[in-house]
Amino acid sequence: MADDALWYEAALLVGLTNALNVVADSPLETLEPVRPDAPAQAVFAEIRAFYDCAEVPVAFRRVAADPGYLADLWGATRRVFADNRLTRRHKEALAFAVSVTTRSPFGTTFHLGEMRRLGVGERGVMEVLGVTQMFSSYTKIADTLQLEPDMDGIAAEDRSPAPGGAPPPPRTRSPEAP
Amino acid sequence: MPTVRLRDASEYPEPVQKLFEAAKAWFKYDFEQPPAMSRVMAWDPELGAFHGRAMKRAMGPGEWSRAEKEMVAAVVSGVNACAY
Repeated sequence: MADDALWYEAALLVGLTNALNVVADSPLETLEPVRPDAPAQAVFAEIRAFYDCAEVPVAFRRVAADPGYLADLWGATRRVFADNRLTRRHKEALAFAVSVTTRSPFGTTFHLGEMRRLGVGERGVMEVLGVTQMFSSYTKIADTLQLEPDMDGIAAEDRSPAPGGAPPPPRTRSPEAP
Repeated sequence: MPTVRLRDASEYPEPVQKLFEAAKAWFKYDFEQPPAMSRVMAWDPELGAFHGRAMKRAMGPGEWSRAEKEMVAAVVSGVNACAY
């Protein structure tokens, strides 16, 4: 996990997971169109196929009144949850951990279901829940005592360029460095 | 700045030194001082032992690899806005 690409992917996933959860968990039922128009229905069909489900998750139904926005939100979601450097299975585990941590009823239920659908067993679910719970403990202990980061030296810096970009400039030593 | 004085590893009793060695092995990193969190958890070795075992049980390889779990831990820490 020393490669930054994995961490970029994880961070983007955290953002999208939270974006879906905040809409799904808010009292926005009245925004769901009774009869979504054809462009929205087309996006819904893609969503059903991706999740292999009959019902479109509520997070998408609530923005279907604007089919263009729905399409872009879905495009971003599909991109972030599809197999890439991280597997879709692992991404669902990360989204589950984020949802439990942020107390999202929608996200917790949805991503737990997705983990199971993608083959994660009960032991695997418990492992993710255990890590989530233990680090919900450590983080609060650290915050209460205002501990400062002291483990950043463990991982090496990834000096690879941005995708398709140029290599980073060579490091320059500061004049006072020995 | 921490709200408590973090004790130097040498200020802890002998049995705790073994826990610090275990932490070094867990992270596969030769810390000058055990991480602050290790020293905090060692303040109450009885609690620290239970908590540490639960953490190791959760983090050890199983259906997910240790690396995959470290990423879960990182996103939980990030969502909790914990800089440590």
